[in-house]
Amino acid sequence: MAEQTTDTELLALFREPATREKAFTEIVKKYQERLYWHIRRMLVDHEDTNDTMQNVFIRVWNALAGFREDAQLYTWLYRIATNECLTFIEQQKKKASVSLDEVESGLSNKIRADADFDANKLEWKLQLAIQQLPEKQRVVFTLRYYDEMPYEEMSQVLETSTGALKASYHHAAKKIEDFIINH
Amino acid sequence: METPRDKIIAELLEIAPFLGRTAFLRAPYAVPVGYFTSFTGMLMQRVRLETELVPEIGTRQEIAKISPLLAGLQMKNPYSLPAGYFETWKVPFPESEKKPAKLMKMGTRTRVIRYAAAACVVALLGIAVFTITKQRKITDPITDLANVSDQDMANYLDSDDIHWTPGISSTEISSVAFNDNDIHDLLSSVPDDELEQYSALLPEDKGTVN
Repeated sequence: MAEQTTDTELLALFREPATREKAFTEIVKKYQERLYWHIRRMLVDHEDTNDTMQNVFIRVWNALAGFREDAQLYTWLYRIATNECLTFIEQQKKKASVSLDEVESGLSNKIRADADFDANKLEWKLQLAIQQLPEKQRVVFTLRYYDEMPYEEMSQVLETSTGALKASYHHAAKKIEDFIINH
Repeated sequence: METPRDKIIAELLEIAPFLGRTAFLRAPYAVPVGYFTSFTGMLMQRVRLETELVPEIGTRQEIAKISPLLAGLQMKNPYSLPAGYFETWKVPFPESEKKPAKLMKMGTRTRVIRYAAAACVVALLGIAVFTITKQRKITDPITDLANVSDQDMANYLDSDDIHWTPGISSTEISSVAFNDNDIHDLLSSVPDDELEQYSALLPEDKGTVN
């Protein structure tokens, strides 16, 4: 299968039983890294990210036949991945009977526990700062800052108006800068 | 021409200048070597299992496929048991639970005794009611006079100063007990005109008053 195969072509191949698996494999290969990093920045831990990644693509496999192409495939994939991340965080909260704040401090602890963690390095401070943000702002900031996603596409992923997304991003960036400067 | 990244940096410099100058620091997390190359294969295996694209295999075949080492160890049990353990082992019930519970059978015999007791009560009540009713029986005096002896009756009449001789009818009594003088004495206080009116009403053979 050619490298330049478009999403539309891959979807057409997926709908054919004979080429279904191959088309799906191509879709996974095309988007796995982007989705991995989106999930990893939300969940921090690799194993949690790996489990969530698998769940995301299982969902994609089950729902892709009914996917309508009025949205872009990649925004649809991001939407599923974001929802899976939020579900995972919610489950963690229920399992441990702790509040969301405690889950967030748990994520900060996971960052500090990383073998490569260096409190003096800016990139690690940035990760700690991101974990201080409320859930929604965290998603908006990472999608914009790391994935360089335009507000229009982010609006499709999060089903929120671009104005609200701009405001969220603005607040998030301010908070992160304050955190980095003061820590 | 301004790229999307340029737009984001310009925006960030305006909102948070420090963050803008350090724009697009990559996340410092490490990924296991070869993760992305093996992920697709691992995922497709799970997809096939979950969507039943492959027929289900036996547990021994399954573990043999995943790990031949574990498959070899599957039937090897390192623990030992005392000889004949399962043959002699019993559920250790407490002493109180060994005794069978006493069953109270509600059989035919009990039912018969109950009915007999009820019949006795009914019979006693019946006798009592009968006895009381009999004692209070109102007798017919006219009927009972037939049972009274003539002597008793004569004694009774004597006590009331009634002259009566047994064996003589009431017609005979009147003819025997009363004579003309007695009648004359009895009627002496009755005015003559009333006697004459009475005599006129009587039949001719009895109408003579002296």
